[in-house]
Amino acid sequence: MQIEGEFNVTAPQALVWENIRDPEIMAGCIPGCESIEQIDATSFRSVVAIKVGPISARFNLVVEITEEIAPETIRSRTKGEEGTRASILTSQNVLRLADDGSGGTDVAYAVDVTMTGRLGKYGLGIIRKKADQLAGVFVENFRKRVVP
Amino acid sequence: MTEIYTPKSIQEAISFLAAHPDARPLAGGATLIAMRNAGLIEASHFVSLSEIGELQGIAKTGEGIRIGAMTRHRETAECDLLTGSLAVVRQAAGMIANRPVRNMGTMGGAVSNADPAADYLPALACVDAVVTLAGPDGQRDVPVRTFVQDWYETALDEGEIVIAITLPAPRNELSLYRKVARVTGDYATASCAIAMDGDTIRVAIGACGPGPIRDTEAEETLRGHLANPEAVTAFAGQLAALADPIDDVRGSAEYRLALIPRLIHAGLRQMKLAEVA
Repeated sequence: MQIEGEFNVTAPQALVWENIRDPEIMAGCIPGCESIEQIDATSFRSVVAIKVGPISARFNLVVEITEEIAPETIRSRTKGEEGTRASILTSQNVLRLADDGSGGTDVAYAVDVTMTGRLGKYGLGIIRKKADQLAGVFVENFRKRVVP
Repeated sequence: MTEIYTPKSIQEAISFLAAHPDARPLAGGATLIAMRNAGLIEASHFVSLSEIGELQGIAKTGEGIRIGAMTRHRETAECDLLTGSLAVVRQAAGMIANRPVRNMGTMGGAVSNADPAADYLPALACVDAVVTLAGPDGQRDVPVRTFVQDWYETALDEGEIVIAITLPAPRNELSLYRKVARVTGDYATASCAIAMDGDTIRVAIGACGPGPIRDTEAEETLRGHLANPEAVTAFAGQLAALADPIDDVRGSAEYRLALIPRLIHAGLRQMKLAEVA
């Protein structure tokens, strides 16, 4: 499943980059993110809870940054699983920043997610709608954080 | 392990749910038990509502027709009180899944689950039904058109249950429910509940967004122009503009949007035939 989107932040690219590279700030902006810890220079461990109607899930995720071109591109890969009720999630992620020409920054993201297990049964159509909504919440949180 | 608790009154059910945050109300179980067996949900207890007398049956009241939350689909599909403007609800009940599910599933359970592709919500939106909820803070009424707030999210707060659905008294109108499904008994790819009151119609579209889609302003604009196919197509376009369909195994989002005008035109044709007959 491909999830793509873009948004604008009225802050300079260097500042947006700095915030995106700060795990504490990202943890505060990602909806449902309960914890994040840096394992080494390029890997992070995180716990993210999601809820779709009656179904709740808590994923243990490892995010590994595979390529970083400051201050414009981050490629990463995510692997994760739910504790006891096996759903497995993997994703390839690309995030790009660009100066919008008027002092702000255009941010574009593309995520290719694969989900198997109990949540895989649940219909990707709804999961995609939920992902788009969560992305909207993230953008709102991130803008508030970067542009006080 | 999930334990079953079987209260005898609404108050007992609500007190138990308030005291056990991981308990879930269990209506007919047609969906909930299947979801539990698939490992999709967990609960410390199922609070079975099956032995609460106040939740049973369909009755005429001063406000219209009250359908108890634990009324089975079969009972609704066979109810003689649901005529004229309310026939759409009876027809929707009869098109849910198959006989075993209609003998098991309940209107309160189906409404609470708020599956976007299920049959009741568009029919109830078409007749302007009101959902009565009960919870720790007492009872409240929510119009069905504002009951669904998001994908599988409803106006139900923590610890609340649906206790009844009230329909306005039946009027002498034609109403019907149409659905497009891959096979008989499947969830809808798209559906349409439609009622005709002289020169105007009320239409609710199902399976094309988180909840049923209705546009009363567009209905008003169409008043008196039902015989004009272009006006009907424009009306369908206004409903399609409010839709937010998903892509899934039952059809693509584009296909669902294309079904909206077809369902409305077909519904109107069927009504005109019924009028002549």
